[in-house]
Amino acid sequence: MDKYFSVFKISLAHEFAYKLNFLIWRFRNIIQILVFFFLWSSVDSTYFGYSQSEIFAYAFLLIIIRSIVMSTKANDVSGYVSSGELSNYLVKPINFFKYLLSKDLAVKMLNIAFSFFEVTILYLILKPNLFIQTNPIQLILFIISLIFAVFIFFSIIILSSSAPFWVPEIGWGVQFLVISIFVEFLSGAFFPLDVFPKPIYEFLKLTPFPYLVFIPIKTYLGNMSTFETTKNLLLGGLWTIILWLLMNKVWKKGLKVYEAFGR
Amino acid sequence: MKHLDVRFYLKIWKLMAKNSILSLLNKKESVIIFLIGKFVRYIFYFGFLYFLVTKTNGISGYTAIQTLFFTATYTLVDTIGQFLFRSVYTFRQLIVTGDFDLVLLKPINPLFRSIAGGPDPMDLVTIPPIIAVVVYIDLLLNPSMLHTTFYILLIINAIIISMSIHVFVVSLGIITLSVDHLIMIFRDFSTMGRLPIDIYKSPLKEFLTFIVPVGLMFSVPSKALMGIISPLGVILSIIFGITLFVLSLKFWQFAIKKYTSASS
Amino acid sequence: MDKVIIVDHLSKNFTVNEGGTGIKTTIKSLFTKQNKKIVRALKEISFTIQKGELVGFIGPNGAGKTTTMKVLSGLLYPTSGFVSVLDFDPFGKFREFLKQISLVMGQKNQLWWDLPVINSFEFNRVIYDVKEKDYKRNLDNLVSLLGVSSLLNTQVRKLSLGQRMKMELIASLIYKPKVLFLDEPTIGLDLVAQQALRDFIYEYNKKEEATILLTSHNMSDLVDLARRVIVVGEGEIVYDGAFDELTTKFAGEKIIKITLSEEVNQKKLEEVGVVKKYNYPYCYISVPRSTVAFAAAEVLQKFPVVDLNIEEVAVEDIVRKVFKGELKS
Repeated sequence: MDKYFSVFKISLAHEFAYKLNFLIWRFRNIIQILVFFFLWSSVDSTYFGYSQSEIFAYAFLLIIIRSIVMSTKANDVSGYVSSGELSNYLVKPINFFKYLLSKDLAVKMLNIAFSFFEVTILYLILKPNLFIQTNPIQLILFIISLIFAVFIFFSIIILSSSAPFWVPEIGWGVQFLVISIFVEFLSGAFFPLDVFPKPIYEFLKLTPFPYLVFIPIKTYLGNMSTFETTKNLLLGGLWTIILWLLMNKVWKKGLKVYEAFGR
Repeated sequence: MKHLDVRFYLKIWKLMAKNSILSLLNKKESVIIFLIGKFVRYIFYFGFLYFLVTKTNGISGYTAIQTLFFTATYTLVDTIGQFLFRSVYTFRQLIVTGDFDLVLLKPINPLFRSIAGGPDPMDLVTIPPIIAVVVYIDLLLNPSMLHTTFYILLIINAIIISMSIHVFVVSLGIITLSVDHLIMIFRDFSTMGRLPIDIYKSPLKEFLTFIVPVGLMFSVPSKALMGIISPLGVILSIIFGITLFVLSLKFWQFAIKKYTSASS
Repeated sequence: MDKVIIVDHLSKNFTVNEGGTGIKTTIKSLFTKQNKKIVRALKEISFTIQKGELVGFIGPNGAGKTTTMKVLSGLLYPTSGFVSVLDFDPFGKFREFLKQISLVMGQKNQLWWDLPVINSFEFNRVIYDVKEKDYKRNLDNLVSLLGVSSLLNTQVRKLSLGQRMKMELIASLIYKPKVLFLDEPTIGLDLVAQQALRDFIYEYNKKEEATILLTSHNMSDLVDLARRVIVVGEGEIVYDGAFDELTTKFAGEKIIKITLSEEVNQKKLEEVGVVKKYNYPYCYISVPRSTVAFAAAEVLQKFPVVDLNIEEVAVEDIVRKVFKGELKS
């Protein structure tokens, strides 16, 4: 356990050393939220089932949830695989996934702290009418959905980063496609998925993407039926397990191919 | 300064574009994935907006079709900018390794090489469909000849502004070695131009119009097409664009002077 | 004969911030007065080089060699003094000037990484305005001289360092520049590649009457190529004259390196020459240049030697000597 704690500490120190990088990263996050916020200020959100206070809560939750779920260092993995740097990690007496997760813990903590700070500042500047959840059960379900989200995201990133095992030239291409495009649009991180017409919406809920951001937010807002909420929770849990198992399987297979070529 | 032989530079540019294409042919898998990604992104974004504006009947006083046109214009200008000025992303490498010295020694303008030296051939594929979309929506809006002319002039102006900003960034990069951050911040601000900037409250709106001229680049051309901008407004925008360009060139010369007086 | 390079009382100063560069220091410098240091890289140096000369430019690191080359090629502008290359002011960056010079720096490259080498040559052909016929002729010539014709369609990143240096050289010569600045051209190359490059530079200088200024820390480079040598130290010219004089004056010795199979009394070794270093089984003996063959034979006869090497005194040593004021020995 000690080694992972030291990984955690080093990652934290690393982030502090690259203060500028980190601050600019936070700044860029804020800009995205501003676009969301202003867009929904000029549009009547009740068309999609959100009151003004709910949609503003959505915006603020985005900042916090993105920092919890999507801040990660695992996006370097595809680079390690295609360049061969992965070998440096494989020879160390440390479980690679646990290593990544420890790094992520450090990064997430830092991002979460900043996101709370930013949310406070934005609240004081924009003074929106915010919806605050008070029902403890909903809050607990919210936290559970977040835990699912963290692991689903990790699995998706590792799965995307496994492509270079078989096609090294593809580099971070699959990650670009899956994370920057699919996750960005289909997780609810960019806009509430209710914008889509019902058939598309129902189809999307069968994919793992909404469980990253959208479902947690919806759970927080608590305006779904008990049936919906339970269904979401079950599907979220199911995807977490399936993707985690799949990730491990694919990674093992990939390693075999990687070691066969001795990059 | 040195002589400006347009034919010569056009020939060089075509050669650099050809070389960029050849580079890409060596990474076919990568190219295909990125192209698919770009297309999917455009489709998703348009899809989202389409669903949004058709249900809510437009934004900030603009109709659904008008809103979509704003986005189409943004996509066009942004993509052309990425196509032309992609070598900005490799500029930092040049400076850090010192290879920039070798660029300075070549009998071609180093600014030209640094900014336009590596056009992104993938965008040759993505730009035509974007133009098609722009033209399609434009036809739906049925603007007058005059307004269409304004639009085209202001699009060119937008590209000039984009070029000026890239020149500022590489100049700053020579002095501070920090290029990528600035470009990313610029791109992020640009994304705010996807929608008519009227949606932003003051003072953000003014900031986006004059300080980071996102409004001028993306919203103003569309507004001109819709007849909302007066001829005076068009002329002022163009003057702004040209002034910005001249200032950026001066800044580049300042940066080069600093570079050539310091040891690398 | 024409004077191709004229340098008269050239000085170059750099102002260095104590804190270095970067955004933070730059911003800080807006509010607080930074400690500035003036580094005098070149102190009123003067020399002229005639057409067709091949001059070696040597000195310890930081002496000002690269700075001088950068000023001569127009990359840096002088603090004071007069510089003229091919009758041009280098800093004016005139196209006509740039088309006649070439700067090759060991670790820097101008070739497009992902593309076959031939594309980079083609690119240079266009920007240097070389006529098709001349280009073909030059290319064939250079390629056969350097023995790389089979590699023309290989991507640059797939070439070895030695092959890449050859290609850099071809790219720099494809337009037949009249003045060549070579900054550490053999650095990082294996001995075979080094020799190939040296032979080639020699040929080019002879055939094209090109004026070549060469910096190197490699003694063999200088021995093979430079008839005249300019020694630079701490921004000043310490010696400017025939290379032979330098080596015979200051490298009057050669070093015999032997590997012994048994321990030998150092005093006995000292009968042959000055023992510079003795770490069994290796021993370095310094003997006068003129008698080295004889001394080597003597060593082989007298001592249980497993291996013997005759080495040049390192340039560094000579130069260090020069600084110690042993100009008149």
